[in-house]
Amino acid sequence: MTEVLATVIFIAALFFCLGSGVWVGASLLACAIIGMELFTSRPVGASMAVTIWGAQSSWTLTALPMFIWMGEILFRTKLSEVLFKGLTPWMSRLPGGLLHVNVAGSAIFAAISGSSAATVATVGKMAIPELRAREYPEKMIVGTLAGAGTLGLLIPPSISLIIYGVTVNESIAKLFIAGILPGMALALMFMTYVAVWGIMKGGAIAKEQSYSWRDRIVALMDLLPVLALIIAVISSIYSGIATATEAAVLGVLGSLALSWWQDSLNWKTFEQSVFGAVRTSAMIAFILAGSTFLSLAMGFTGIPRGLAELIGGLNLTPLMLIAMLTVFYIVLGCFLDGISSIVLTMAVIEPMVRAAGFDMIWFGIYLMIVVEMAQITPPIGFNLFVLQGMTGHDMGFISRASIPMFIIMCLAIIGLVMFPQIATFLPSNT
Amino acid sequence: MGLWATVDAGLNRLYRICGIIAAFLLVTLTVLVFLSILTRMIGTYIGGLTEFAGYTMAACSFFAMSYTFRSGGHIRVQLLVSHLTGKARRINDLWCTGIFALIVTYLAYYLCELAYESWEFGEISEGGDAIALWIPQLPTAIGSAVFAISAVHTFIETLVRPATLDEIDKGAAMGSEG
Repeated sequence: MTEVLATVIFIAALFFCLGSGVWVGASLLACAIIGMELFTSRPVGASMAVTIWGAQSSWTLTALPMFIWMGEILFRTKLSEVLFKGLTPWMSRLPGGLLHVNVAGSAIFAAISGSSAATVATVGKMAIPELRAREYPEKMIVGTLAGAGTLGLLIPPSISLIIYGVTVNESIAKLFIAGILPGMALALMFMTYVAVWGIMKGGAIAKEQSYSWRDRIVALMDLLPVLALIIAVISSIYSGIATATEAAVLGVLGSLALSWWQDSLNWKTFEQSVFGAVRTSAMIAFILAGSTFLSLAMGFTGIPRGLAELIGGLNLTPLMLIAMLTVFYIVLGCFLDGISSIVLTMAVIEPMVRAAGFDMIWFGIYLMIVVEMAQITPPIGFNLFVLQGMTGHDMGFISRASIPMFIIMCLAIIGLVMFPQIATFLPSNT
Repeated sequence: MGLWATVDAGLNRLYRICGIIAAFLLVTLTVLVFLSILTRMIGTYIGGLTEFAGYTMAACSFFAMSYTFRSGGHIRVQLLVSHLTGKARRINDLWCTGIFALIVTYLAYYLCELAYESWEFGEISEGGDAIALWIPQLPTAIGSAVFAISAVHTFIETLVRPATLDEIDKGAAMGSEG
């Protein structure tokens, strides 16, 4: 009975701290301290210091600030302009027209940046005014951008995949490789939707001017440095030449070179990129410090084991379990941002998922899609916040515009469950 | 009020300096990892480079904590409390900053104790670097101590001036200097 009471106090404290607005990292630490005091006789403070020091100084985690910095550098280049102008001649004649630039631009930027908010911001900066000038429906502009921005987490490099990998002790390189095909598949699904919409609208949308092959080749030349950077980073991981961290450093140097080549590298942008990266890294590091200690405390409470046994006893089919988890993460996403949802739940969910026989690499890819679905549903979603700031529409409009994308992502999850090879094929063949 | 303003400005400068140190450490981290790639390419091996990269990252993260906190970079769930006004808002502000100050001070105390005990018992790293562990743990301890100072500073400021937490959320608590 005391065991049950202690568990209730522990869980209640967690929800109370988070809900009352205590900073996420501190909430997690506070609950971990309570949990340790209730369930073990170990010295709490000393365990905390050793656990946090070990996690915060680990080599694997060093990929995180590097990839964040890379994104911060590229965000301050002329990339949004280059992407739009480079892709336009290739996309203009497709049904659905330049809306495809939103998707393709996001997919490309996602391959050099690990954050979906940065992806939305960079692609949208140029695409929103250009598409508006060409009188595309506002709902489609906003919806496709919100949806395609989610590719940022799926297509490597991905900040959230690094955090997932560090949390469950899986190879970040493998996770990155696993994200390639599902990311491309999801991008194709978004583009199919745009094309079907374009065909159904028929003549109702403005005809785009057509471009000659000469224009297209010139446009491609502009995109070439970016594509080269993507290929260099991904192939260095894929071929096993570089670890994720080393690939990240190559990425940082490559983006500095790109920025210099575009004349956007000066002391001010460099300084801003470093401070931006330091702030984001510290924000994540604080949450991770809390979650690593909470995982330790969670282990002593017996909650993860109990939940794994409970779920195991229900004899759910994998599809039912995934459906349950999907609903759970989307509800959780109403209160927490993506990174906090991942680190907070993995301590409890990991044993359950392993016991149910899921491949942890596959599960990571699945998790990216659901967490991203939560990011385009109200009331909390970074993509929504970014788009709100950029377009001036309210949350309601943006989330309604994103509904088709949300449904496509649901389909993507069903596809991922039915054909797990989409995620597991590449990493098992390297 | 004059003394408080001086202390406030001085502390804000301290957080900014810590942020600058963190920025240097991030660049250092990049150089360290780049060195490890270079040395491997030319076939030599410098022991402990990966450990040093990890230490540098830990120091970078903790030096950046106070700066990030005061400039509104750390996140919290505002969904449920954003509609509070008047007295309820005030009590919630004090609860958030108060418990935060308590927890961060607790964290800093034990991170400092960790470094102190590594020094007292002469603990050596188990990695390829084999250096005394207190050396890399010291910057982390200092960074966390400044983080604790910023947390307590913010709590006291909230007691004195109700608008404090709002300014932190908006990233305006660092003042306009530099």
